[in-house]
Amino acid sequence: MADRGERAFGFSGTWRDYAPIALTNLLLTIVTLGVYRFWATTRTRRYLWSRTRFIDEPLEWTGTGMELFIGFLLVLGLFGLPFLFLQFGFQALILQGYMALAFTLAALAAAMIFYLAGVAVFRMVRYRLSRTWWHGIRGGSDDKGWAYGWSNVWRYLIAGFSLYLLMPWAMISLWNDRWSAMSFGPFRFSARAPVGPVYRRFLLFYLLPFGLIILAATIGLPQVAQDPSQAPDAAAVRTTLLFLAALFIGFYVLLPLIALLYYAKYMRVVIGGLSLSTLDFRFTARSKDWFLLILGDIALVVFTFGIGAIFLAYRHWKFFSDHLDATGEISRASLTQSTTAAPGQGEGLADAFDLGAI
Amino acid sequence: MTSIGPDEDLWHYDGSSAVRHHPRVDWDADGFILRWETGASGPHRWGDLVPLGGTGGRSVYGLRGVNGWRLTFAGPPPAPFAVHLPLPARYGRWVDQLGLWKALGLFAAVAALVIFVVLRAPAWIAPHVPMAWEEKLGDAMFGDFGGRLCETPASRAAIEKLRRQLGNDVPIRQIGIANIRMVNAVALPGGRILLFDGLIREAKSPDELAGVLAHEIGHVRNRDTMTALVRQLGLSVLLGGFNGNVGGAINGLLAMSYSREAERAADQYSIDAMRAADISPLPTAAFFDKLGKLAGGEKAERTMSWMASHPVSAERRAAFEASAQKGKRYQPSLSAAEWRALVDACKQDPDVTKGPVLGF
Repeated sequence: MADRGERAFGFSGTWRDYAPIALTNLLLTIVTLGVYRFWATTRTRRYLWSRTRFIDEPLEWTGTGMELFIGFLLVLGLFGLPFLFLQFGFQALILQGYMALAFTLAALAAAMIFYLAGVAVFRMVRYRLSRTWWHGIRGGSDDKGWAYGWSNVWRYLIAGFSLYLLMPWAMISLWNDRWSAMSFGPFRFSARAPVGPVYRRFLLFYLLPFGLIILAATIGLPQVAQDPSQAPDAAAVRTTLLFLAALFIGFYVLLPLIALLYYAKYMRVVIGGLSLSTLDFRFTARSKDWFLLILGDIALVVFTFGIGAIFLAYRHWKFFSDHLDATGEISRASLTQSTTAAPGQGEGLADAFDLGAI
Repeated sequence: MTSIGPDEDLWHYDGSSAVRHHPRVDWDADGFILRWETGASGPHRWGDLVPLGGTGGRSVYGLRGVNGWRLTFAGPPPAPFAVHLPLPARYGRWVDQLGLWKALGLFAAVAALVIFVVLRAPAWIAPHVPMAWEEKLGDAMFGDFGGRLCETPASRAAIEKLRRQLGNDVPIRQIGIANIRMVNAVALPGGRILLFDGLIREAKSPDELAGVLAHEIGHVRNRDTMTALVRQLGLSVLLGGFNGNVGGAINGLLAMSYSREAERAADQYSIDAMRAADISPLPTAAFFDKLGKLAGGEKAERTMSWMASHPVSAERRAAFEASAQKGKRYQPSLSAAEWRALVDACKQDPDVTKGPVLGF
């Protein structure tokens, strides 16, 4: 559809336009003791969506603050209060000597949270699609995500049993599962991301700590374990210090960087495997782009003493839509209205578990 | 009837397909109608038109009851059309009606009131909670403390003697010695007090212990534990409004302790009770001195958060010292044998649970 050599997606917002929204959101959130944040989220999304063009028309966000608030209250009532009670009860049971019962209950609660966290991710995507409109058409899903919650549990369990070697498989197959259940208009998304392409970077991340430990054992130990009766010479001390610095950099700089390398590939692979009818999606952000994004985030937050954090949602959305692309034709006449049931409330569950976007 | 269009700057989606129509719009005082080559929409009433936020100068309208129905102008709508339209929502209904600054002021005032009530309310509510409820709650929460209480006939008699001297008119249900190696004592909901074995071992004399015990009796008398429970419950619900992390942190800061005022009041009770019982406050003062040194001196203590709810040890020591009457002959609170019974209670009790305690 990008027939004029133009990208299918384009973002036309500016931070100056967004600043009044972000600042008033912050003020209102503070004076309402946090309650306004649901309306703040809605205002932010309405702005970001409306500045994001797909082909010839901007997207439209129709979610409301009230429905996010109601979703939050529902989750608080249905899950929050029982868990609060369980917390008190757990302590009481231990003090009364019912150890087995206390730990069984705690394990059940943990399993329940694990399950619900999966359901929450699914429902968050579903909610967002159902409130996203384009050309008067919206997305959604007829699946409520309860089954997805179970596949989330067992796949991550298997990944755990494999000493996390199957982690990329769990992440990608779950992505495929949830996006295959989503639709826009009459069309289902097809998510067929392969697992293979991300493995090289994953193994790099996975094996680096072992490599560092082996390196430490072979080079570092002889240095440290020299004859203690002799005063260590200055050169040996310097080598040891250098070595420790290298180890520190390895764990705190190199490891996160490689994690970023993996994540960048992961996003390209999963979005690259996504299509809708005859549209194929593509995500073009390289590791370098992600690195600059995060460096910018840190600078923004640090140099404004934290206030810059109100612009993070804007930055991330801009990054996302700047790198998202789609190719192929879509017939407007065949893109008819979605028949999926639109969820009544917002992202209460995901909100409760503090889950991020995408 | 007035009309505009059809032209490129005016388009419409009917909500059933993604096809873009360029209609002609005809309207009068009651409503409007859209017509294009292959179809029409309307007549609709003005009241059913919902303004939606536009993009880059565009004006977008939806229609109540028809999902996906859109009417878009590339710029602002023509004036004769626009007069029939309500303004788009901006901040949310309440804020839009009040105006941003008024709303900010009003919300801030309400927030200040809420914070004040939440901080104060527990102290108002707690005295009205029936004692029987508090006792049941305390039993449910702590039971027999996992069989961790040390007791011998002699230790029971010694504790009873202390109770008679320091809190005869306070509804105390139980004073127990817990087999836990912590230099601490706690008042629990339901009028129960636990002296930790570590505290008794650390104390040099029964009078030192008497001061700490009287402090906890003060908490029981003032129902401070109930106040703390109500506060914790209230905060958990209220701070749900914030993100999990922020809420949890604030909750932890505010909830898990008594207020400074409550601590001062409990100290005052302790001082008064010891004076009435002719017990010297000086050993207790020395004990606070020791506690202060354990916490790394006064400076460290003032910055340490875990002590923040208690007045700084140095202040407490001074208060106890000042209450000592010069030249007065004080009575020891317990005889040497009675004191021995307390110190050895955990050693002598054959069926007490030992080992590290979980969940505390």
